[in-house]
Amino acid sequence: MLRWSDIDKTLFIKGVALEYRALAFLLLSVCIMFADHRFGYLEMVRYGLGYATTPVYWVADIPTRVSFWFDDVFVSRTDLLEENETLRERLLVAQRELQLLESLASENSRLLELREATEVIPGEVMPAEIINVSPDPFSRRVLINRGAQDGVFVGQALLDANGLMGQVDEVLPFTSWVLLITDAQHVTPVEVNRNGERALARGSRVNSMELDLEFVTQTQDMKAGDLLVSSGMGQVYPKNYPVAEIISVFSDPGQDFSTVRARPLADIASTRHVMLVFASEQTVMPALDEEPVRAPVTGGVIERTPAMPQEPEPEQAEPEVDNGASAADL
Amino acid sequence: MSTAIQQRAHALWVIVLTFFIAYLLAIVPFPDWAMNYRPEWVPLVLMYWVMALPYRVGIGCAWFAGLVLDILEGSALGLNAMGLVIIAYVTLSLHQRLRMFSQVQQSGLVFTLVGLNLLLTHWLQIVTGQTIASNLMFLLGALTSAVIWPSMFQLLRHIRRSFDVH
Repeated sequence: MLRWSDIDKTLFIKGVALEYRALAFLLLSVCIMFADHRFGYLEMVRYGLGYATTPVYWVADIPTRVSFWFDDVFVSRTDLLEENETLRERLLVAQRELQLLESLASENSRLLELREATEVIPGEVMPAEIINVSPDPFSRRVLINRGAQDGVFVGQALLDANGLMGQVDEVLPFTSWVLLITDAQHVTPVEVNRNGERALARGSRVNSMELDLEFVTQTQDMKAGDLLVSSGMGQVYPKNYPVAEIISVFSDPGQDFSTVRARPLADIASTRHVMLVFASEQTVMPALDEEPVRAPVTGGVIERTPAMPQEPEPEQAEPEVDNGASAADL
Repeated sequence: MSTAIQQRAHALWVIVLTFFIAYLLAIVPFPDWAMNYRPEWVPLVLMYWVMALPYRVGIGCAWFAGLVLDILEGSALGLNAMGLVIIAYVTLSLHQRLRMFSQVQQSGLVFTLVGLNLLLTHWLQIVTGQTIASNLMFLLGALTSAVIWPSMFQLLRHIRRSFDVH
């Protein structure tokens, strides 16, 4: 049924000239981009819109959940028994290790008391699931199914069964974005488990599944196979969680620093089940009060000075610090 | 009169649904190697509706659609909104000519617009510090968008006609 009014409205657009409308909306976009990114004025708007977008994530996650459900339902009895057996064995081993750990922990806290160091209390964890990954291939971020309603906060650490994965970057009502440690803009303060050498692990710009250790001097004792644990220096991550394993160390005498590559221990590419750490309040709160946003970069910058007292060329490090600071401002 | 209003409400529902599906496709995770080949679903759907119903889906709709996409992708608010406003503006100003274009010509325009959009958003992401400058492989998305456009156009036209969206 074609009417004249239809033809009229199909052919001609009425109202304010197109150019002005486009220009107005472009300016509006620039303004909100500035307000949101530069000043964080639109936190509430983001949060509110988060309610509207939750169903999309929920629907997008259906195929994965269905396949998990299939795996759970259509599994043979023998498989279950076998799995049960292995799990029981593993539990036994883990319990034995835990018994040893208890005595070690108490011994350690006594030693710390002797040194008058602050005691690090292991935090509570909350299980979560990864329900989406960032569609931008250059940024390594994942979405988890816990949000403000579950008490998630910005800067919270995320682990999987094998090691540290990343930290919460943005909290929405029912979901949160987590910045992974392999993101090229994320710096994790680490130390070598063997000898306590400190370093900064940044997500590799070349290989998305690796970390680069920055500002490692040629004299620092690091070798392939070393375990890197979180040093707790940036006050974002809890101390002593396994982060990565060094896969290669290359020292070129013509360069100031060694090239050290490491592979994260967490199963970043394929895991779904993760844990959020609620660290004890007295160890974490001060850092969060100071700088709640863009914690990774700030953490790196704070960390750098105490970590590298023997840096041979401080003027080399200066521009990097500036970069970090401006990135933190942005 | 009342039937016309009902139809209008019904039709709006169809447009929203196509956008919803486009959002789903935009955020569904792919293997790493395939990430650069994903067509830009939301700009494609937007271009179709702007072309087909320029008096209903305009720059304001494009802006809002971009805002939702920003939230979904977790990027700075206004980033995709800006890109989609530009796409909507060019499509609106060309929509009468676009209808006369052959499929190949339309695909060419889709390639250009989506490519520009990708460049703009990538550049803005670098400025806002969300990503780092890298190679130009992300522009492959424009190519796949252009390849998929003819079938996308047929499908959406079929949907529009069967639900009588006007």
